[in-house]
Amino acid sequence: MDLIHPHSKHDTADAVRDAASRGCRLLVIGGRTHVDRGNPSDVDAELWTTMMDEVVAYEPAEMLAVVEAGMRVGDLQATLAEGGQEWPVDAPHEATVGGVIATGVSSFRRLRLGHVRDTVVELELVKGDGVLMKSGARTVKNVTGYDVHRLATGSLGTLGVIVQVALKLRPRPQVRRTLTLEGHGLELGRRLLETVPLPSAVIAGPGRASLWLEGWADEVEEQTTAARSIDPALAVEDQPVPFEPLDIGSPTVVEAAVPPSRIAELVAGRDDWTALMGVGIVWFELPDGPEPLAELRVRVAEAAGVAPVIKGVGGLGDGPIPAGTIHRRLKASFDPAGIMAPGRFWRGI
Amino acid sequence: MADVEGARRALQDVLGSDEVLSDPLALRLYARDASMVEGGCALVAFPHSTEHIVACVRIAAAHGLPVVPRGSGTGLAGAATPIGDALVVVTAKMNDIVEVRLQDRLAWVEPGLFNLDLSTALRPTGFTYAPDPSSQQTSSIGGNVNTNAGGPHCLAYGVTSAHVLALDVVMADGTVERLGGEGPEAPGYDLRGIVVGSEGTLGIVARVCVRLTPLPPAVRTMLLDFTDVSDCAATVSEIIARGVVPAAVEMMDHGIIVAAESFAHAGYPTDAAAILIVEIDGLPSGVEAQAHEVEAAARANHVRTIRVAADDAERALLWKGRKSAFGAVAQIAPHYHLHDCVVPRTKLVDVLAGVYAIAKRHDLIVTNVFHAGDGNLHPLLSFDRRVPGTLERVLEASDEIVRLCVDAGGALSGEHGIGLEKRDFMPLVFTDEDLAAQACVRDAFDPEHRMNPQKVLPAGARCGDFAMMRGSDAAEAAANLPEGSWI
Repeated sequence: MDLIHPHSKHDTADAVRDAASRGCRLLVIGGRTHVDRGNPSDVDAELWTTMMDEVVAYEPAEMLAVVEAGMRVGDLQATLAEGGQEWPVDAPHEATVGGVIATGVSSFRRLRLGHVRDTVVELELVKGDGVLMKSGARTVKNVTGYDVHRLATGSLGTLGVIVQVALKLRPRPQVRRTLTLEGHGLELGRRLLETVPLPSAVIAGPGRASLWLEGWADEVEEQTTAARSIDPALAVEDQPVPFEPLDIGSPTVVEAAVPPSRIAELVAGRDDWTALMGVGIVWFELPDGPEPLAELRVRVAEAAGVAPVIKGVGGLGDGPIPAGTIHRRLKASFDPAGIMAPGRFWRGI
Repeated sequence: MADVEGARRALQDVLGSDEVLSDPLALRLYARDASMVEGGCALVAFPHSTEHIVACVRIAAAHGLPVVPRGSGTGLAGAATPIGDALVVVTAKMNDIVEVRLQDRLAWVEPGLFNLDLSTALRPTGFTYAPDPSSQQTSSIGGNVNTNAGGPHCLAYGVTSAHVLALDVVMADGTVERLGGEGPEAPGYDLRGIVVGSEGTLGIVARVCVRLTPLPPAVRTMLLDFTDVSDCAATVSEIIARGVVPAAVEMMDHGIIVAAESFAHAGYPTDAAAILIVEIDGLPSGVEAQAHEVEAAARANHVRTIRVAADDAERALLWKGRKSAFGAVAQIAPHYHLHDCVVPRTKLVDVLAGVYAIAKRHDLIVTNVFHAGDGNLHPLLSFDRRVPGTLERVLEASDEIVRLCVDAGGALSGEHGIGLEKRDFMPLVFTDEDLAAQACVRDAFDPEHRMNPQKVLPAGARCGDFAMMRGSDAAEAAANLPEGSWI
């Protein structure tokens, strides 16, 4: 396996253009923390973005940061903390900004903070033909032209190499707190959603539910009081800022995504799940082997969802995608030589 | 060659004769949106269902007519201004709320539904649809989707794109696709995200699945009054620097305060140089903490008075003045040209000063009312186009304002879109390579350019070919432009 380790976006463009001319298939690698996402792809070389790790511009009063894509999320958060801000993503320290965006991994707090794609306001991409292009702008609001950056977000490196982004930030909250309640997880989760206004996350599992709160000190206290009406004995733990990423330990983890009202039917009779209530993300810890995954995917499809593997073997699954012709045309125009992680995306794209 | 008569008969067979118009008055009425650009069309159709839209697209293709989707026609950039023998497809009669599912925090609605009607219908449920463009009484959800509309409350809640889960789209080839999904992740590239804001150039939105947002338990609306515009603008940056993201931060300058006050009687201080309307929402204690910071930021920048809305009625009144400001300027002069560009928040003071200087140089009246928290400026030039030479001065000043914003590191449009009006400014902010990639996206959806042709991308931006169109091609494209356009 060859290794390409560019130092700049122009280096990257040269390398990708060269690879395209030789038919050399590339896998873009950041921090390797989300590399299991996507289908297996036979490639000839890895392109590491980690030498491109500079802050290009950061002005706290703009609540925007422009950074190179190979920057580690932990390093970025440390820089932003000095400005009293954060990028609302709960990825591991060693993950890269570009990797998080390319895999479309949202925060556990997306109930309140939204999807990661809505934090990307400008993006520079070296397309599969080696051409560097930009879309969006360094402003929090912008409707100038087609949002190509939205295509790149979650594209698993199949359209090009993300080399630089401008990110929308938010103020770092004063206080963060986790409340844990023991009992019927789903039921507790439902009641927490009804009772506590504006939680950052309600996370349910078999036998427990936890509530993630953040904000001004009084506000968090007010929400804690509301939660105590459900269970006066709940456990309170003040958290470091930012939250530590959720640790899901088994060899194979599936991230199912269903409409929130379908969570109950999905987890009925199981004890291997953790659910983001009100959002519809459910993580399943599966034993090795194809059968448990196949069985789970049938169940998820019945609940109108998708069930990609995010850790271990199993890929995205073979669910349908809309507008297949448009997908293929986009892939062909961004990556005419077909070198960017062929087959890693949905439906073999 | 377009067969208008054949298309008219075929459309009437499917939609009924009342829902297809071709009389001169109708064609004139639908020849423009709320921009200054006037075009022309051959037919106007009013579908009642997704199947009707499919028929419109297929019949137009079979008879060689381009298709221009239209919601309420409140767009300000000419995206819904038709050109040539176009079929204008008006979604206004598709205005039902199809389904509300609170547990999934979503609602399916038809594209012609007015934005405000959705929020009003949702209010008893404790949820809302967050984007609230100032046109919300008359602008449609489908139109909002196509312009990726903003509004005052997008500062905290994000623009339309963050609130659209899925779209049923009639594509250029007449097929119907569901882009996005009801769940938190959908398979495939984010085509939903591309269609939002695409100004009707990629397909016709036939149904929208919107995300519902819980109504905040507490809201505080404050009016901050300044004797100096720079102090007012500096307060905006200071609020953000203090770690507060208000739900809305709106700024109005002296000229617009006077006009809005005589129209809305909101009790605005008419001797102020500028005011800020700041709204904070959340939990009562959080609102208290943030209000404290906002007041401190304002005092540090010499605020004269701070008025807090005592109840919902007073809050509504404060907002009425803001949201009716554009109507109120009719008192200044019969015509206005409203700009929309975004600059970095920290450049607001300098850019505002530049806007005043440009207006003065061209002997024009300019007023400003805008989303200051987002850096989204709306300089408004008031004039009487019947006075010879005035329109030319307006267009020259407009050109200079756009360049001023771009030079400050801004974008061409924050929420109104590119349409016809700004498409030839696109090379100011994008390279040929950037525009070619955008052209590729468009071609992937609509290789034959049937949908709303000549909008958004400048003449000659082509997929796979970085050379911008020159010479005779460009002349031909320019010849197709409607009269009155200043692009």
